[in-house]
Amino acid sequence: MGLEIPRHVLDIAEKIKSMEIRGAGRIARSAAEAMKIAAVEYRGVADLKSFNQYIYRVAEILLSTRPTAVSLPNAVFYILTGLENTISVNDAREHVIRKADEFIKMTLDAYDKISDFGAKRIKYNSTVLTHCHSTAALSIIIRAFKEGRIVKVYSTETRPLFQGRITARTLLEHGIPTIQIPDSAVRYVMHDVDHVVVGADAVACNGAVVNKIGTSQIALAAKEARVRLYVASETYKFSPETAIGELIPIEERSPEEIVPRIWLSERKKIKIMNPVFDITPPEYIDLIITEIGIIPPQLASYVLFEIYGWNLDKIKTRLMIKTIVEEED
Amino acid sequence: MELTSTEYVLSTLKNFLKTSSEEEFLEHYLYTVDKVLSNRPSNYGCINALKALGTYILENPGFSLEDVFKIVNELINVIDNACTQSAIIASNRINNEDVLMTNSRSLCLQRMFRALIDRGINVKVYVLESRPGMEGLETAKWLDDNGLETYLIIDSATRFFIKNVDKVIIGAEAVAANGAVISKVGTSLLSLIANEARVRVLVVSPMYKFSYETVFGETFKIVEGDWKYLMSSEVRRNLPENYSVYVPLFDITPPEYIDALVTEYGLFSPQALAVIAKQTYWFKYGASNLEEIVGKIKKNFFNR
Repeated sequence: MGLEIPRHVLDIAEKIKSMEIRGAGRIARSAAEAMKIAAVEYRGVADLKSFNQYIYRVAEILLSTRPTAVSLPNAVFYILTGLENTISVNDAREHVIRKADEFIKMTLDAYDKISDFGAKRIKYNSTVLTHCHSTAALSIIIRAFKEGRIVKVYSTETRPLFQGRITARTLLEHGIPTIQIPDSAVRYVMHDVDHVVVGADAVACNGAVVNKIGTSQIALAAKEARVRLYVASETYKFSPETAIGELIPIEERSPEEIVPRIWLSERKKIKIMNPVFDITPPEYIDLIITEIGIIPPQLASYVLFEIYGWNLDKIKTRLMIKTIVEEED
Repeated sequence: MELTSTEYVLSTLKNFLKTSSEEEFLEHYLYTVDKVLSNRPSNYGCINALKALGTYILENPGFSLEDVFKIVNELINVIDNACTQSAIIASNRINNEDVLMTNSRSLCLQRMFRALIDRGINVKVYVLESRPGMEGLETAKWLDDNGLETYLIIDSATRFFIKNVDKVIIGAEAVAANGAVISKVGTSLLSLIANEARVRVLVVSPMYKFSYETVFGETFKIVEGDWKYLMSSEVRRNLPENYSVYVPLFDITPPEYIDALVTEYGLFSPQALAVIAKQTYWFKYGASNLEEIVGKIKKNFFNR
């Protein structure tokens, strides 16, 4: 049998599943690495069809580890795109290795590109507002500051977990004048702001952006004040499943993040709602800044179909895998 | 805990009743004016009451302590009744099974919820935690104690939940000539979000909160807090030396985001309030100038 899956590949799959490997970027790169190892270590018959079956089997195993992760299917399908045009096992093996390396490099270089493209969009002497803590957004702000474009940054505290304090600390370490504000003050300061720059947890196919709770109301306040809003996002965060109507699930977390346990125990009837993300509609977003360039949010589906080789058949296959996994769970 | 706008007016007035001579009363008056102007400069309930009191003193230089206590008590009654009346009128606009959203803490709103409960009108309430200050936690506790179904959310989750809401109802620190409302910071964002979702915004604001000064071009002063409003000193110690914050305690909601101001005289569009203000108890004092009153009191009674 040529379809035996290498131990190392299964190990990576297990680590993704157990969340030992976490974070959108690391998950995606690990999956690409696993695909590459699988191709290198293929010991089956020298028949293209067998090789392809084997690689698809590896893809399925990887995809089933985290059914809701956005970056994972993008890594896998980036690598599979064009596989159908290969003519021999060697050709196919080379294809998988090359595409996996390409994907890993692309994601590692992403911040560099994003900061390069994004900084150019910041006008000189700007005041910028950012929410939560986003490495991609910060890479733009830090680059723009070095280029002399930014004079001041407002950073929201970002309740309930105060990730804004990490942002403020990082910005201050780069010598950037930074002012922390409570989340409730964003409309009050918006008249003093030139650009809002935020990150993304996922981008839907219509260009709607899933990000830390509070982003959508900051976007609304920016729109009202005619302040431009930029989203910094690696393309592997674009969600292919939204193309056929899947909703991105919004995680609800523990009320203890909002009030102390003792407060809760005395107030059992009060319901504390703690959604982690919200969805900003595309009409409130001026640009999405990715490592492949700057796109209007409405072009999100183009990224999925052209760069990641998504087509409707692939999306259906992906959904099938997801359904099977969910039923098994 | 920070006093609500109306609690602050009432407690300021009640402190006058602790004075034991006419002279002490006058000293206390000057002290109070300074304190209000530096601590709550946009609390026009207080400013209007101080104008009324100062005007009485100037018109009746031979006043006795008994006379001024009578005036202080009258002001307390007028304000307390206006708050209750506004609350009852606001409660008329709420339907059974409505889902409401509110922020911070307000005495007039508490009385409105009380009026709803007394009439057997059942509502669910979303409360924003309302940083800085977190007065929303107090409001949530109060609503829960009074048997209303209460949801507590962070300020950032307002837009996420607004579609579940029928009406937004808020209190006010003061109302300007054009109907703009000064209230707890975050209120203008809440009103913007409600407008986007076509949810009505009601503001319970009795007429003593109307700022006559703004008719003559005065602008509101926004009080700012420091880092202590946002964190413990332990958290502050772990942040960089040059870490800085900006903490406005109030903000201003433009009249176009407000569907109605609810006063003791009824509901009005915010832009109409200036006309109504002319016909109220406060108009006689409103148009006067607190600085002038203080200047005359200093001159007439203290020869300063």
